[in-house]
Amino acid sequence: MIQLHNVSLAYQQGASALSNINLSIGKGDFVFLTGPSGAGKTSLLRLLYRALDPSRGQVLIDGQNITNIPAFQIPYLRRSIGVVFQDFKLLPNRTVFENVAITLEVLGWGRGDISKKTMHILKQMGIESKYDHMTQRLSGGEQQRVALARALVNDPKILLADEPTGNLDDANKNQILSIFKDANCRGTTVVVATHDRRLIEQSHMRLVTLIKGEIVEQMEKETTGSDQNL
Amino acid sequence: MNKWKKKQQAPTKTFKRPTLAGDGFGGRARFFLSRALSNIRQNVFVNVVTIGTITLALLIVSLFLLVFVNLESAAENWSERVQVTVYFDKELSPQEQGSLRTKITAVPGVSRITYVPREVAFTRFKSRLRGQETLLEGVRPEVLPTSFEIALKRSYRETASVEGFVSAIKKIPGIAEVQYGEEWVRRFNSFLNFMRLIGVLLGGFMVVAVVFIISNTIKLTIYARRDELEVMALVGGTRFFIKAPFLLEGLIQGLAGSTISVALLFAIYEGFLHSASSFVVFNPASAGMLFLPVEYIAGLILAGALLGFLGSLTSLKRFIPV
Repeated sequence: MIQLHNVSLAYQQGASALSNINLSIGKGDFVFLTGPSGAGKTSLLRLLYRALDPSRGQVLIDGQNITNIPAFQIPYLRRSIGVVFQDFKLLPNRTVFENVAITLEVLGWGRGDISKKTMHILKQMGIESKYDHMTQRLSGGEQQRVALARALVNDPKILLADEPTGNLDDANKNQILSIFKDANCRGTTVVVATHDRRLIEQSHMRLVTLIKGEIVEQMEKETTGSDQNL
Repeated sequence: MNKWKKKQQAPTKTFKRPTLAGDGFGGRARFFLSRALSNIRQNVFVNVVTIGTITLALLIVSLFLLVFVNLESAAENWSERVQVTVYFDKELSPQEQGSLRTKITAVPGVSRITYVPREVAFTRFKSRLRGQETLLEGVRPEVLPTSFEIALKRSYRETASVEGFVSAIKKIPGIAEVQYGEEWVRRFNSFLNFMRLIGVLLGGFMVVAVVFIISNTIKLTIYARRDELEVMALVGGTRFFIKAPFLLEGLIQGLAGSTISVALLFAIYEGFLHSASSFVVFNPASAGMLFLPVEYIAGLILAGALLGFLGSLTSLKRFIPV
């Protein structure tokens, strides 16, 4: 599903954000990317939805090298990828419903279908009663569930999350983790960048550790020891 | 979102599979228009500020235009006074009049030609000396010359053209003395050219300032909503899909701003300038100030819409993160 071959990313000033990354994530996998701040987790995620172009190497999604696709095709790539962030990136002057429906509007769905599908996902997230609330009136956990609903409403093949629990308490973290697991069970490949050790330990999923832009350790699901040292 | 509640209660249409928002161009256009209108509703303050800025900026330009149009119209009337007079020592017979009239009219530039016999010249002279008629005691009309007064077409009222015309008619046999108030014509045309230069400079400066103000206002409003652009790009919106509602919004803002500015200009004109015509005497030939011609009004409204559209277009180029 996701393959990175010898990927390096350098900033314009010459500093290296990622160097020689080789990573393969299978269809339906659930992977945590971890590492200290500045390790390159966010940059790696941004490469996967073509918000950044690598300086070197190939990024393959479903066998297609996305570093080669022309700019006008990037939106079509992104329609198969859901993305959530620590700061949620919700539109403050729109309701919960409108924030989620935007994903389906982009796809050109009709109003009736958008209403049905949006309410369905909001129900899954447990926030259907707040569909007409403005997002800034919601708690942090609720806002993140709205962001997740927006990312998952069109059943993406891949879900990318960048520090999704960074602003949340333990109860909300558990809820978010269970939403990730549900999406994963339905076949979505999930990649979560986090340095929340508790979240990682609780989930027992595959772990990729980055330090200073390099993969230093990969631990497979349910294993306790180091699987591969690079 | 009460709409949703109503929709839930109403029997809902069943869809086999997701249908597109609208069929073809019309459906998509309706979607973008409704999105633009709901954007305006959701960002009322920003839109009021933008429309207000466009209104004020265009009002300044249109006020200037109004003054300029009135000055031009006044100049047009004043320039009617640019006329050439051909004097004769004797009374011309109808045949002579006819023959000279034909020859003079054949010279390019003549708009009107009038024969002034001695009696008419004497009456005019008397009316100019009203109150001092005693000066004319014993004076007979025969002491005055007869003349042809020739009014020139608008394009022949420039100093050089008048001089050219005069030298052309001097070549007609039987014409000796020609007067056209050289100094007045020269001064009048210099004033007119100076006024036009000032108008073009001031107008050009104003247009540049207005374009700068409007484009920057739109840029700031789009900058304030860059998160929206980012989210749209993130969920897979194409550049056109992201841009279209913003462009329509800009078009609506420009159209609203320019329409309001024209309405305000009309209110100012009706409430102040029109009634103040007794002391704002720009134009000796008309009762007072004129309002802008229809084509100028249409031009102003279209310019507003275009400014809104182009302002949005250039700002979006910078902020769409695709």
